[in-house]
Amino acid sequence: MAAEQNNAVNKQKLTLNITTPRGLKFVEQADMIIMRCTDGDLGVLPGHAPVSAVLGDGILRIFNDGSVKKLAVFGGIVEINNTTVNLFSTIAQRPEEIDRERAEADFRRAEETLIEQLEEQDIRRLRVLMHRALVRLEVSSHAEEAGYGSDSG
Amino acid sequence: MSSLRDIKRRIANVGTTQQMVKAMYMIASTKLHKARAQLEGVRPIYRELSRVVRELARQGKARKHVFYRGREVRSSLYIVLTSDRGFSGSYSAGIMTRALEHMEEKNEKILVVGSKGHQFFKKRGKNIIGTIINLPDAQVYYGSESIAHWAIDLYLAGEVDEVFIVYTRFETLLSYVPCVDRLLPVDISGVEVDDHEHIKYEPDVNTFIDNVIPLYMHMSLFRAFSESHTSEEAARMVSMDTAEKNADDMIRKLTRMYNRRRQAAITQEINEIVGSATMLNVED
Repeated sequence: MAAEQNNAVNKQKLTLNITTPRGLKFVEQADMIIMRCTDGDLGVLPGHAPVSAVLGDGILRIFNDGSVKKLAVFGGIVEINNTTVNLFSTIAQRPEEIDRERAEADFRRAEETLIEQLEEQDIRRLRVLMHRALVRLEVSSHAEEAGYGSDSG
Repeated sequence: MSSLRDIKRRIANVGTTQQMVKAMYMIASTKLHKARAQLEGVRPIYRELSRVVRELARQGKARKHVFYRGREVRSSLYIVLTSDRGFSGSYSAGIMTRALEHMEEKNEKILVVGSKGHQFFKKRGKNIIGTIINLPDAQVYYGSESIAHWAIDLYLAGEVDEVFIVYTRFETLLSYVPCVDRLLPVDISGVEVDDHEHIKYEPDVNTFIDNVIPLYMHMSLFRAFSESHTSEEAARMVSMDTAEKNADDMIRKLTRMYNRRRQAAITQEINEIVGSATMLNVED
């Protein structure tokens, strides 16, 4: 993987623009981006064919010069064209923006409530809440353990 | 003729009003500042999403999707954003007149936001199917999401065949334009079909549309709310500013009148004294 990334350094880079309802939130350069779509992960290298995709709830990994950044992205769409990646989502959080305590509380609450018998719709809502809490926790734990993403690339 | 005391009382009255107006001006300008920041934030994502949604229409397949393919219009949903409070000049009147014009010859179903609009449409016997009053600023974001879903459900259930949003676009502090936009079916006028377009949609075009339209609707509504809210606060700020100037003018006018009266009274008194003194001297 190291060789692959060294190659990419010499080549073009991807420009990632993330737009949220609070404006253009991130502009980042990257060698590779891996994002969670509705039906699995999608990896993007520079020179990608034009694709627009629907995003699911998950972790967005940005590989640049051998380091990995992680963001929590929930839903939205992505537009990929050659070296530009435009991502539109209602929520995109950096590790430092995540309230770990709240995410943990959300997770526990969802878990507790799921044990009880509930309506179909509530279960689905709680699953989403639980999943989002997990994503947040994982993204924010990355702030402490550097190099976590090396096995997932 | 009002007495000196009356005039004095009026000056004090106008002064109090002026202070209130000044306070309202300050409130409006703080709110305007916040509203503008929110508006600047949402505009880019709205612009980009509406571009994506329009570009989708180049695909022949997308045009067959229920959100793009129009159907015979039997009833139209109007989401009209008005205000709950007055003191904002012609802001409310402008948006309601625009909405009313647009509704001519339509079988309308109205979701009205704001008590001003509710009164207006009720008086004119329009078909109001929902009213939202006193929506707190903090709930606008999630509120617009649930309205978006509600509108999509109505559209998919066939209860409405068109969805319009009526809002006031904020341009500058002094100019706001009442607008009517069609949200559903998506406006594809001016977009050519081009099946050679190489964009691929993942997982497929229909799923993509199913996911992008709710997001687009949410952002459109949130943006419209922000536009309207910003316009309202700007209108209020400007009219409060005018009111303050008017109060200033009035105080000046009243003060002048008061001084003139006082002077007249003094002159008259002196005249009387001098007159009687002369009379007394003559008698001596």
